[in-house]
Amino acid sequence: MNQDPFKKEHYLRMKLDEDHVQVPEFPMNPKRKRWDRLVNVLASPAKNPVEPIISTTTGLVVLKVAPVLAGTALTFIQLIFFL
Amino acid sequence: MNLIEREDQLMIAFQNGDDTALEKIYTLLKPSLYSFVYRYTRDEQLSIDLVQDSFMKLHRYKQHYDPNKGKLKSYLFQTAYRLMITKLNRRKKWRSFLPFLTPIEKGEIDYADRLTIRDAVARLPDKQRAVILLFYYHDMTQEDIAEILDIPKGTVKSRLHKAIQRLKDELGGEFHESGSI
Repeated sequence: MNQDPFKKEHYLRMKLDEDHVQVPEFPMNPKRKRWDRLVNVLASPAKNPVEPIISTTTGLVVLKVAPVLAGTALTFIQLIFFL
Repeated sequence: MNLIEREDQLMIAFQNGDDTALEKIYTLLKPSLYSFVYRYTRDEQLSIDLVQDSFMKLHRYKQHYDPNKGKLKSYLFQTAYRLMITKLNRRKKWRSFLPFLTPIEKGEIDYADRLTIRDAVARLPDKQRAVILLFYYHDMTQEDIAEILDIPKGTVKSRLHKAIQRLKDELGGEFHESGSI
């Protein structure tokens, strides 16, 4: 590359220079064991997987009605097989 | 002796049995390595783990480094980059099976507010993000970046140009420079 691609990009350079990273103090040898790392991942805040369903009216209705329908279906199945 | 030569010399000393040399290498390279990984992942704990894993790998496989093939900094960044991609891909796989592992995502960016450069860089495709971080924040040459990312030099140039254009598009109508790259 003969020319610096950022040479004329004054604004972009200014914005990129705004991003400062604070480097924390930590030793070279890890004290955290693999188990600790796994626990950290499992315990970190996560989004609610049901949220896309319950955030709409239809989804909420389906969620409330589904157990009733499932129970009714199971009842019919038992009636068919055992009567 | 410039900094790069000093790092390489320390690594040779470490390969020859001087264990204190690795601590000195750590002091010299930890800040830049952490900065690169953190700017890429935006996850502090993951970044700490990756830096530590990289140095652990450097220690364990110290004889694998050949100063005739490249700089120590490029070698270490390459190690960290590969570990990072492996770990991120593994996490994506787990999250597809176990949705409760999916981290909380930031809400849709309100374009009434100014998009920060962090957001713009985070929204770059992974391959473009690595190139621009290495080029801009770490003053790496195209050759160094090609070695770290294991891609051709021409690909580095093309990704860099695309990344710059994309950042400009993401940051919106703030640009008034004349001319283009």
